[in-house]
Amino acid sequence: MTTVQRSEPATRGLAVRVAGLGVTFPGGTQALRDISLDVEPGSFTAVIGPNGCGKSTLLRVLAGLLPPTRGRVELGAQPPRPGDGRVSLAFQQPRLVPWLSTLDNVALPLTLHGVANGERRRRAEAALDRVGLRDAVDRTPRELSGGMRQRAALARALITDPPLLLLDEPFSALDALTREAFDAELQRLWLDQPRTVILVTHSVGEAIALADRIVVLTARPGRVAREVAVDLPRPRTFNAMAPRAREIEVAVRETLASVHPGDLVPWVSS
Amino acid sequence: MGVIVRRIGAGILSLAAFLVAWKLITVIGDLPDFILPPPEAVVQRGLRAITTGTLATHTGVTLVEIILGFAVGALTAIATGIALGKSVLIERVLSPYIVAAQAVPILALAPLLDIWFGGGLLARVLICALIVFFPIAIATMVGIRSTDPLLAEMLRSLGATPRQLILRLEIPSALPVIFGGLRVGVTLAVIGAVVAEWAGASSGLGVLINIANQGLFDTPLMFVALTTLAVIGLAFYGLVVLAERRLVAH
Repeated sequence: MTTVQRSEPATRGLAVRVAGLGVTFPGGTQALRDISLDVEPGSFTAVIGPNGCGKSTLLRVLAGLLPPTRGRVELGAQPPRPGDGRVSLAFQQPRLVPWLSTLDNVALPLTLHGVANGERRRRAEAALDRVGLRDAVDRTPRELSGGMRQRAALARALITDPPLLLLDEPFSALDALTREAFDAELQRLWLDQPRTVILVTHSVGEAIALADRIVVLTARPGRVAREVAVDLPRPRTFNAMAPRAREIEVAVRETLASVHPGDLVPWVSS
Repeated sequence: MGVIVRRIGAGILSLAAFLVAWKLITVIGDLPDFILPPPEAVVQRGLRAITTGTLATHTGVTLVEIILGFAVGALTAIATGIALGKSVLIERVLSPYIVAAQAVPILALAPLLDIWFGGGLLARVLICALIVFFPIAIATMVGIRSTDPLLAEMLRSLGATPRQLILRLEIPSALPVIFGGLRVGVTLAVIGAVVAEWAGASSGLGVLINIANQGLFDTPLMFVALTTLAVIGLAFYGLVVLAERRLVAH
């Protein structure tokens, strides 16, 4: 099923098990229907689908922000609980607190858990270092560019070193070139410190460049339409994304086209 | 530096213009002192009140009432405003009473409150606090409600407790609006102290106004008391603005 090809074994990370998950909102809108998903510890999973298919809802359930209406969600052996240090969610928008410095924003998860000042600062600086934002320590979010804000948000998600990282289209507001650079950086971060990652995205290319496996969701209410394994060697570069990558892309696009007839990917022939 | 000098210059100019206009009105209207005393008569009367110690005594009493009344009123208003902002149920239950209390003229209620609470400092502080309460409570409620829900969700995803949510997000993001309420509230505290004194007190600037106005027909003395109240109001307003500049970063 999942093909993990990298130098170190996938030991760090949390197993995610989703069984028969359904989410219905108070208004009666059904966001997710009967989703079942098994994610191996240390693997990188991309969830792809059009707007409104419930991708973000799935992540909010996994982060413990939203209770399932039906079914079960387990991280390791327990249901998700916000703030227990096992999971971080990076949102589509950076969501930085405007009156806090970059350092204090990044350190926020530690602040909320009463970590002493010295250690807080040390770890926040290390996290900022990892995303290349060391110089922005004392600046406020307003003084950062869009890309820098997104980096800060990523540093905030990484500071607790969570075994499960949830990414909700974290780079979708960036321009295409910056976004590719971020994807490359995300790959590097993951190869350096492997952990379970679930990335929600609109971009087939991004999913292929990063993931071990691509989960294609149907339109609302979201269900799993197909899972496509990405058996490409790492580290991936554009050179490496040759014929095999093309095959995977076609498989994903065909699935998208079949579950969203007329909506998407008109250039797939079949 | 130049900016500060210009600002002070503008302040002095506007004060001078105000005094000249005042003087002109008394001269052109040929008004007697008990209708509208000219500025210099008020200054003379003020100096006399200062040297005899009258002004200091009454001002001290009123200052204590304003400070305590504002403190009590602002703190309960902020606490109430947070509760109103957080809970629709609490707002539904409490807001009719709060609005009704605000709509009832405090001038009419003050004598009753004075009797209920023993006619001492406590009664006056409560009357003052009651006047201060409304704008600050409403501002706090509006401010708390304007918290960015995306930031709130982010904090919850980090495991923030309800208390941390209030202290680290909702109050800081409501602060600019709360300070709007505090600015209004602090000037109302001055009025509140005077109204409370009118309801039954033996000293204070409000009492001094009554003595001067109704007892002695000493209009210049009344203007001395009014000017003192105005200066107190300006000073406290300035303090609130200063606190706002220090606390509100954005």
